Amino acid sequence: MDSLSASRVWIMRLTYVGLALVILFFHLLPLNTLPNRWAPPDMLIALTFAWTLRRPDFVPVLLIACVLLIADFMLQRPPGLLSALVVAGSAYLRNWSAGLSDASFLGEWASVGLVLVSVMVLNRMILGLTAVEQAPMWLVLIQLVLTIAVYPLVAIISQSLFGVRKLTPADVDILGGRT
Amino acid sequence: MAKDRSQREDYTAPLRRLLLGALLLCLLGVFLVWRIDSPRVERFRAQVTDKVVPSMEWAMVPVTATINLLRDFQSYQRLSEQNRELRSELRQMRAWKEAALQLEQENARLLDLNNVRLDPQLTYVTGVVMADSGSPFRQSVLLNVGARDGIVDGWAAMDGIGLVGRISGVGQNTARVILLTDAASSIPATIQPSGQTTLIAGDNTAAPVLDFLENRELVRPGDRVITSGDGGVFPAGLLIGQIAQDPSGRLRVRLSADYERLEFLRVIRHLGNEQIDTPGNIVTTTPVENGEALAVEDEEAVDG
Repeated sequence: MDSLSASRVWIMRLTYVGLALVILFFHLLPLNTLPNRWAPPDMLIALTFAWTLRRPDFVPVLLIACVLLIADFMLQRPPGLLSALVVAGSAYLRNWSAGLSDASFLGEWASVGLVLVSVMVLNRMILGLTAVEQAPMWLVLIQLVLTIAVYPLVAIISQSLFGVRKLTPADVDILGGRT
Repeated sequence: MAKDRSQREDYTAPLRRLLLGALLLCLLGVFLVWRIDSPRVERFRAQVTDKVVPSMEWAMVPVTATINLLRDFQSYQRLSEQNRELRSELRQMRAWKEAALQLEQENARLLDLNNVRLDPQLTYVTGVVMADSGSPFRQSVLLNVGARDGIVDGWAAMDGIGLVGRISGVGQNTARVILLTDAASSIPATIQPSGQTTLIAGDNTAAPVLDFLENRELVRPGDRVITSGDGGVFPAGLLIGQIAQDPSGRLRVRLSADYERLEFLRVIRHLGNEQIDTPGNIVTTTPVENGEALAVEDEEAVDG
């Protein structure tokens, strides 16, 4: 049961931070200074949700909050708002997945899509209420659709490349017995 | 065993919920502080960027260079076609060069005749673009010059030809340039030759729109747009671009700066337009009996 040891958990936490930094790094490369007609998917949020649903212990809320706050600061977003929404969304997904031991992937995808939509809507609503300048609607919609579309890919890569898999009930028992 | 777990969860669950609530409050608190005291948080953001981005530069430069190399490689496939285009362009440019040389000579002669002294304070600092905004919703770039090099918020940034944006957010070693295409950017400008003043407002497209244009009839596509220097933040007379009309009939500015590849930017030192606030020494300031009334009269004449 290698995937349950404490060192493994810490290594995976560091891997999450590393992946987030790589995503930020590629965002910041000065490759295109012309305004785009489309917006790339938000890989960081997709990654966070995929890992939360598979191994919540790899991505504790505090870690998610820190990583997303850094992202907010680095990517010129209003700091704190999107990270608060993503933390809330991941907490919701955590509860949702704890209820069902093995839901189908379609169900998972649908609920992630729902959370992404509500994060977007709440984000725009709060920005609107506090009279902050907003990004164009169509760009946000393109980003939302692409993020939902890219989610299965992120999930597959997390599973196959990084070994972030759901625990089987046997694993859970071992984990519960040991700690 | 399952029972154990559920008991354990019984007392960790409220703790978790408390932690989650506190975290959310903290994050929303950060957002509120940003909303209330934006300049302070933005300064903090500039400092964070100032620490983080230069430390990633060793990796960013080669990766950017490699990706650009690959892109250039794609364009090699169209090499012969490009070559033909360039040749015809070169022929046109030769004619233009001739005209420019003649104009330059004429200009020098005229300046000499008028004894004009060009603004000596328009010197510049050149910086290299290190990073972009990282978000598809914001248009800005990060330069590798900052407070250390005397950069001040609000200064203009140009590439070799036209205005690119204005400095907004200065760290010790870095400075952020809000591009003219950003939705938060608006620059006072003058349209030549009609002399109309307008605001160039970015809207996240490649060509910013004209705002607050007084008389549209006087403006035609192809007119030159330069900064007007109104408001005293920007030096006057920097080239922005040319007027163009989009399919829906709105007037936009086709920017002269090459936004495809922003690599080196010049930050124009601008120490504020000098204000003339005294009547000068022609009007006597020594209190003579009738002198004061005279001075006041003179001032009014100047104002009028």
